[in-house]
Amino acid sequence: MKEVLAYPANYWQTMYEIWLFIAVVIYLVVFIPGAYFLVKYRYKKGANEKAQHVHESKALEVLWTIIPTIVVIYLATQSFAFYRVQRTAPEGAMEIKVTAFMWGWEFEYPNGKKVFSFFNSVVNPETNAYLKPEEVNDMFKAYIPAGTPIKVLLTSRDVIHSFYVHPAKVTEDAVPGRITHMWFQINQPGEYWIFCREYCGTQHSKMAAVLKVVPKDQFEKWLKEGMQTSNFSDKQNL
Amino acid sequence: MAAVSYRPYFSAGLKEWIFTTDHKKIGIMYGVTSLVFFLIAGLSALAIRMELFQPGLQYMSEDTYNQALTVHGVLMQFWWAVAIWSSFGNYLLPLMIGARDVAFPRLNALSYWFFFAASVLALITLLPGNHIRMMWTGYPPFSLNDNAGPVAFYALIIHLLGASSLASAINLVVTNLTMRAPGITLKKMNLFLHSFLAMNVIQILGVPALAGAVTMLLMDKYFHTAFFDPTRGGDPLLYQNLFWFYSHPVVYVMILPAFGLISEMIATFSRREIFGRTSMIIAIWGIAILGFMVWIHHMFTSGVPDWIRIIFSYTTVLIGVPTGIKIFNWIFTLYKGSVRFTTPMLYTLSAIFMFLIGGLTGIPLGLPAFDIAVHDSHFVVAHFHYVLGMALTLAAFGGFHYWYPKYTGRMYSEFWAKIALVLIMIGSNLFYFLQFIVGLEGMPRRYADYPAIESWIRLHELQTIGAMILGFGVFIALANLILSTKFGKKAEDNPWQSPSLEWLVPSPPPPHNFDKTPHMPEDWDPYNYEWLEKQHKKQ
Ligand code: HEM
Ligand SMILES: [Cu+2]
Ligand SMILES: [Cu+2]
Repeated sequence: MKEVLAYPANYWQTMYEIWLFIAVVIYLVVFIPGAYFLVKYRYKKGANEKAQHVHESKALEVLWTIIPTIVVIYLATQSFAFYRVQRTAPEGAMEIKVTAFMWGWEFEYPNGKKVFSFFNSVVNPETNAYLKPEEVNDMFKAYIPAGTPIKVLLTSRDVIHSFYVHPAKVTEDAVPGRITHMWFQINQPGEYWIFCREYCGTQHSKMAAVLKVVPKDQFEKWLKEGMQTSNFSDKQNL
Repeated sequence: MAAVSYRPYFSAGLKEWIFTTDHKKIGIMYGVTSLVFFLIAGLSALAIRMELFQPGLQYMSEDTYNQALTVHGVLMQFWWAVAIWSSFGNYLLPLMIGARDVAFPRLNALSYWFFFAASVLALITLLPGNHIRMMWTGYPPFSLNDNAGPVAFYALIIHLLGASSLASAINLVVTNLTMRAPGITLKKMNLFLHSFLAMNVIQILGVPALAGAVTMLLMDKYFHTAFFDPTRGGDPLLYQNLFWFYSHPVVYVMILPAFGLISEMIATFSRREIFGRTSMIIAIWGIAILGFMVWIHHMFTSGVPDWIRIIFSYTTVLIGVPTGIKIFNWIFTLYKGSVRFTTPMLYTLSAIFMFLIGGLTGIPLGLPAFDIAVHDSHFVVAHFHYVLGMALTLAAFGGFHYWYPKYTGRMYSEFWAKIALVLIMIGSNLFYFLQFIVGLEGMPRRYADYPAIESWIRLHELQTIGAMILGFGVFIALANLILSTKFGKKAEDNPWQSPSLEWLVPSPPPPHNFDKTPHMPEDWDPYNYEWLEKQHKKQ
């Protein structure tokens, strides 16, 4: 089995390939006869001045009702099967609580450690343009261990935001007054983007955070240091 | 109101336009208003595209960008994609059914003036201090936030539009059902009228849900109710449910009449009746009914229960079936036809092939397993630009050319019309197809700025070039139509030789359309091209 970069992106990838194949086939099934009829039955003086009459064909109409029905029901069922996996975090996943706000993210780890990422932590203060992930100050990065499933519990402090993990190809809204969930896993250490995907005002397009994926032991070390923020966690402000 | 004397369109005075109750003039007024807003929305689209050309903010602040995008979205949907059908519908419906006017002509004028009032209010939001920056969806709790702009304004505009389109829809449904001339049975009615009827029924059922949603929003913001505010026990998802219960079906309000025009044009230029006409009518109503059963697909990542997402994914993809039936029937209409490649026919064929891409990329959006990766990404934007930005706009532009001789008594320039279409097709495919790719690569929508990811930069540069070519093509197409009202050569009454009733009256039609109510003979049918030939022989 080849190494996958991220879950559940691999299921998405398969769904995508199945759909793309079917879509291309359908496109050709329509395009080829269409193009052929256009050439064959074009009006020519003296040759094809008059249309012949074929009003309908029950057999054909039944055919192009039944076959598409089968195709779309197959697609929806395939999606159903994948979606269960994409939605259900594996046993023993690490839980991170994410609270969105205008405009940034708060990550809370199981031991109470918190990381805050604000919109202005991902941009260059002079140009107001995006930094590269490596250039963002480590203080604002959400660390996670490589190869470990992460279950995210999401909510929001003000308006609706949406948590999108770029390499994992999964998004779920952060809704005030509700807790929603999603999961993902990234196998390759590195730095990846998280974006906000629900329009949330002026800095919506800068509401990003960097996900720093590190080997497990390094993560454990990071998690233990700098616990001080947890003492200040003021639940009333949430 | 005193009877206003009648003069042909271009010499009619301002007073005559303002006080008219003639469905043809009202149709033209809708069309002109709609086109003006299409251009404003198009210019803001080009401004948006310029800003996205490179990462970083070059030409505007984020707030300005958000306003430009809100303006673009609102105007393109409500002033172009919905309102342009009021133009075609008003003008063509009475002519196609052999009536002198609509059932309630004054109500019809009032509908237009409500629409006009909403248009003026929409223009006022462009003035500094009145900017609305909440996108056309206006989700709470964001829309309750001061960052969103004057929401009362938005709500008022939606109410005016809603009142206008409800009155208009009821009027046109009544006209259609009660005023058809003898001999025009429901079965012999033009396919455009079938799709237009279904579209109006959707409006009547759906508009109240949207009106309710924005009223509740208004009360939350100014009267401290708490329907949607979670801090006081409300539920923001309630708004989304109400909003999409209307706003999903509204995409069929936009696209069904476009299907209608496509059917008219493809029949005329293949010189034969639409293949499988009965199944076309069934498909129209199938789409209209299923359209109300799929709104949750806009909420696949919103936090609604998983089982609801699954159920709605099945109903969503099922819409592909009646849609597919329509496409296959159009293609088989060419079979054994005698196909003429006039400008409207080329627009129609382009619309069908673009719609096919739009439709095939809509299906995966109905599959939660696919959608969670591209929800609110540029993939979605690309999908609806194929369907609305292209299929709908191409069909409408095709319609402009098709009925141009009827409206003006003149012909447009075939040469410039074809040049324009070629530019539109090159530009829009370059633009929208790459929008799919950047969406698949994860670019979120409604972003004023984006990180400097190598491939995204390339893709955005090319998209902007495509959008400019597209804009240029639209400019040529409209310039041709406008200039030809003056310089075009005289058109015959029935240049396309169609037996459909609107072509059997002079161009432009006289004030009362028909001197006496037409009685359509047994062997007449709007698509019976041989009947027309027989008439010619008899003369
Ligand atoms: C010259 C032609 C056009 C150009 C260059 C253009 C460009 C754009 C761009 C760049 C966006 C923003 C994507 C994002 O970040 O979310 C957008 C959004 C949109 N466009 Fe267009 N567009 C064009 C024509 C149309 C047409 C004809 C329609 C409808 C009939 C349309 C409907 C919309 C809608 C509904 C949105 C979404 C607004 C929102 O997110 O609230 N556009 N367009
Ligand atoms: Cu956000
Ligand atoms: Cu956002």
